[in-house]
Amino acid sequence: MKKPHLPAALRALAMIKPKQRLTAQYLLSLLIAVTLAFLVGAGIMLLCGYDPIVCYTALFKGALGKPRAFGNTLAKTATLCLTGLAMSIAAKAGIFNVGGEGQLYFGGLAAAVVGARLIGAPAWVIIACALLAAVLAGGLYAWVPGVLKVKLKVDEVVTTILLNSAAIYFCSYLANGPLKTAEKGISSGTDSIAASFSPLIRLSNLNGSIFVAGVAALLIWYLMTRSTAGFEMKITGTNPRFAKCGGIRADRLMIWGMVLSGMLCGLVGMTEVFGIHKRFITNLSAGYYFDGMLVAMIMRYQPFGVIVMSFFFAVLTIGGSAMELSAGISSEVILIVQAVIIFFMAAEGGIRQSFSAWAARRRVRREAAL
Amino acid sequence: MAGSPIARFSHVSVRYPNALANDDVTLDILKGEAFALVGENGAGKTTLMNVLYGLVKPTLGKVTIQGQAITSRHDPMRAMAMGVGMVHQHFMLVPGFTVAQNIALGSEPRKNLIFYDMKKINAEVLALGKRFGLPVNPTDTVGELSVGLQQRVEILKALHRGVDILVLDEPTAVLSPAECDDLFQVLRGIVRDKDMTVILITHKLHEVMQFSDRVGVMKQGKLAGIVRTQDTDEKRLAAMMVGREVLFDELRTGAPTDREVLRLEGLKALDDRGLPAVKGVDLTVRAGEIVGVCGVEGNGQTELCECIMGMRPQTGGTVTLSGRDVSRLSPREIRGMGVSFIPSDRLRTGLSAEATVMENMLVGKQKLPEFRKFGVQLRKKHAVDYAKRLSEAFDVRSGGVDLPMKSLSGGNMQKAVIAREFSFDTPVLIINQPTRGVDIGAIEFIHEKILEKRAAGCAILLVSADLDELFRLSDRLVTLYEGRLTGQFANGTIGKQEISYYMTGGRQEADA
Amino acid sequence: MSEIFNLLLLQNTLRTATPVVLCALGCLMTERAGFMNIGVEGMMLMGAFFAVLGSYLYGSWVMGLVFVTVLGMLLGLFYYVFSVTFKSDEFVIGVALNILAGGLTVFLLRTLFGVKGSFSGPGIVPLPTLTFPWLERIPVLGTILSGNSLLVYVSWLLVFLCWLLLYKTPLGFHLRASGEAPEALRASGVNPNRMKLLASVLCGVLASLSGAHLSLGYLTMFSENMSASRGFVAVACVIFGGGNPPRVFLAALLFGFIDALGIRLQRFIPSDLTSMAPYVVTVVMMVVVVLLKRRKKKTQEER
Repeated sequence: MKKPHLPAALRALAMIKPKQRLTAQYLLSLLIAVTLAFLVGAGIMLLCGYDPIVCYTALFKGALGKPRAFGNTLAKTATLCLTGLAMSIAAKAGIFNVGGEGQLYFGGLAAAVVGARLIGAPAWVIIACALLAAVLAGGLYAWVPGVLKVKLKVDEVVTTILLNSAAIYFCSYLANGPLKTAEKGISSGTDSIAASFSPLIRLSNLNGSIFVAGVAALLIWYLMTRSTAGFEMKITGTNPRFAKCGGIRADRLMIWGMVLSGMLCGLVGMTEVFGIHKRFITNLSAGYYFDGMLVAMIMRYQPFGVIVMSFFFAVLTIGGSAMELSAGISSEVILIVQAVIIFFMAAEGGIRQSFSAWAARRRVRREAAL
Repeated sequence: MAGSPIARFSHVSVRYPNALANDDVTLDILKGEAFALVGENGAGKTTLMNVLYGLVKPTLGKVTIQGQAITSRHDPMRAMAMGVGMVHQHFMLVPGFTVAQNIALGSEPRKNLIFYDMKKINAEVLALGKRFGLPVNPTDTVGELSVGLQQRVEILKALHRGVDILVLDEPTAVLSPAECDDLFQVLRGIVRDKDMTVILITHKLHEVMQFSDRVGVMKQGKLAGIVRTQDTDEKRLAAMMVGREVLFDELRTGAPTDREVLRLEGLKALDDRGLPAVKGVDLTVRAGEIVGVCGVEGNGQTELCECIMGMRPQTGGTVTLSGRDVSRLSPREIRGMGVSFIPSDRLRTGLSAEATVMENMLVGKQKLPEFRKFGVQLRKKHAVDYAKRLSEAFDVRSGGVDLPMKSLSGGNMQKAVIAREFSFDTPVLIINQPTRGVDIGAIEFIHEKILEKRAAGCAILLVSADLDELFRLSDRLVTLYEGRLTGQFANGTIGKQEISYYMTGGRQEADA
Repeated sequence: MSEIFNLLLLQNTLRTATPVVLCALGCLMTERAGFMNIGVEGMMLMGAFFAVLGSYLYGSWVMGLVFVTVLGMLLGLFYYVFSVTFKSDEFVIGVALNILAGGLTVFLLRTLFGVKGSFSGPGIVPLPTLTFPWLERIPVLGTILSGNSLLVYVSWLLVFLCWLLLYKTPLGFHLRASGEAPEALRASGVNPNRMKLLASVLCGVLASLSGAHLSLGYLTMFSENMSASRGFVAVACVIFGGGNPPRVFLAALLFGFIDALGIRLQRFIPSDLTSMAPYVVTVVMMVVVVLLKRRKKKTQEER
């Protein structure tokens, strides 16, 4: 009887291992990549008739100049950092969570529902309950594809991406349907929540939630770099078969990696709702998880690197919108700059390999000819 | 019998960034001869032949095939055009294709220029098999064939191209003694009747004596010498290979106790393809005893070990440890009962190539209070010190314990695995191919360590494809053939020749 | 009931399934060559944009297709260079490609056309609808088999051609070998990387073409993110089609059917739920396929 053909690439997808080291060489390549990307960006600006210097100045001023802008940048850093860490912790255990958007939505919705229903309780109780709800919702939604991958070997990349769309639609249905707002004059989303994080800098997005984010980031960093569980996750991520043989509960760790990842995303959803919008809206996230994912991939899922890089990317993103307002060029050019960085860093290993192989061959031929 | 040179190597060197694989090799292969190229693992035999076949580019030197020099753009396609065919150690077959499709790969017959003429190739392959005494069914799917048949397809692939020189790289590694004899018969037939030249790469000296007209000995990349087979013997060849008298020690027997530790009863299991691999094995291992399992790879050894370790579900039978039935337990639980495991495939199951040496050595101990603070935090410094001590005790040479495992050589990786597993000090050890891909010095060291464990009273199940190793270390020998035990002997009551028969199911074969 | 389940539904199925079919065929090529491309989503989006661009600039749908084909070849080359030559992680490149596509199309939309959100207008020439009188004569299905947009028919033809290529030509065998056993192919004298390049270029062209159907097939407009994760659905189809063109085609048709059905049901069920359905169904399908494989394996073992 003919055996069903297991796609070779599916096996390859299943075996993608996160590369572990952030060496000095890698960081140098990163510097080169960033410079290259900025040059490409400048080139595009010139082509469209804009002055790169003006644009870039507007970008950095727009991100760091005024306190309000800086506040926005910090807030964005927190979001990127959390989503980047969410991707990292799952990746470290060898499982790729591409469904952070959906988990974020469920988290935000759960938080909004709790926030709108709990009336009269002290603010910190509301916030704590909402946090719990968000984290549980996100974790639960991530648990499903995690279990499917571990127990049934269903590829998690495709399932999580599809579940993203499903989640966004479903949350929209809930928010516009059964959980629809009763307040007048507001078009969509849930009721306003009873409590929220207080803003830290006037008129900016920076609010009390950054402390929550900071604590979460610290915990994740500790888990990944200092704890025994993090060690076991690393072994699981690099060689699950070896981990199992060595007595490590690889399955459990992979699922936990996924669940923790979802929990972080749920947390982000909650901070968006409680910190900025004060309610659940149907387009809660503008791709926040994907941005965080990219940061994580560039920094090879190393927590410290992710934290640092998220600041840089936040500067780019916030600065980009500001640049559009003041210099006029469409902010998407920043997306292109970011994409160039990613492509370059993804290819970095291969480029270096080809280059050093070529250099070695030349050297060997020269030596032999002498 | 042999005539003028058909292939000439002239001062060929192959240099890699951190190794000199071939060092100024000058060698002539004569037309119509059966030539054996011997040497230890890593001596450069395969590399030299890969140069001939176009898979490796020589850094220096010239190679001519049938009078024509190879160009700098030499590749397998050109090599085949020049009359060279190669059968590799790791088969170059597409598992999903049929026998005929594999044989025709790269030279498929066409219908109307674009379409594949399947009928034609099926007929051709059928005829080809008959002609050379290697019959095959053209429409079988290669992935479902036995290893011996797969090798047959590999050979036919080379013959299909109409080669004049056939190179075989360690072909007998995966064959039973009977299949080996068949193979050599076919090869000698090819040399004699079809007027072809056959080059055999091997490290097994008895094969050399059995098969070849002339022998070339490679040692550390250099050609140590060429002799006519009739003018030499195994001992002298061994001396040329290693440069010292290879010691074939006498037996060092232990004193096994009567305490039974590991018991397998009627153990059955399937392999990865869903076919029965272990078909009812009964075995006991006592404390202070080494039981050696002899068998050609692919007869169920790996599946047997995996069953004991809980990595593979049994389809029947039981595994008992000190009286307790452990048949359905996970690897974690079985290790908890005092079993350690050295798997046959270190890169796949024995370690994590990306993780550091220290991390690899810590696996299994990470939850001990010695390495864990407050029940959560890893005591990194303790772990590093431990890894350093362990590396020293087991002679694991690395550039540092914080480097990734993949930066170590194969032999050192193996020693690291052994270091970790032995350091658990468990009463039961399951060891599968402990010295595969390991150089001679390390082999001695590893054997010493295994004997130390026996002296300490451990029950050791030793699986190996290396009869010398088994005969050196075991108290009892059992033979495994197609998933069944075909014989049990106390070491010293049977010879290597005899035991080979049991490794093939006890069928009596005429002497080669 | 008959309002919902009628021939029009089937016709919409064909129309909705086509971009997934084309994209999945492209994905199938790289999958058989051993490096699955999840950036096809981005390729589809860019294809949609460039099709509109070409059609608008030259007032001809042919130019739209030419733009798309050239784009596809470049994208395929790009993906090959990064995945194979530079040995990058295919997952990273795929995701980055998707993000780049999103950003680039919006950027170009604003810079070239000066609009946000979407672009449409009379200057864009759509792909022609083809009618085949001889098809119409087929009972029952005749009316829906004829009168579809060009790429619908192209997609059917391509399913057949892909099947033919992969299983009946030596080139197809080489392509499959480059994914299953590249070293075996190399030792036989064929460079597996060349096969991978071919696969990648084919994938790029097919994925971009699928985008052209989106923007020029029945509508004539480009809107931001109009690919709507269809590229990922295509990837899922390849996975449960097992890399076999006819099976992948059926999987894509199923998706198209659920999608079209969803649109029909929007009168009775909230649109969010109907939009969600295809994605959920796809995930369920993936699980079902795995469970079936497992059961098959178990019965095999028991024999």
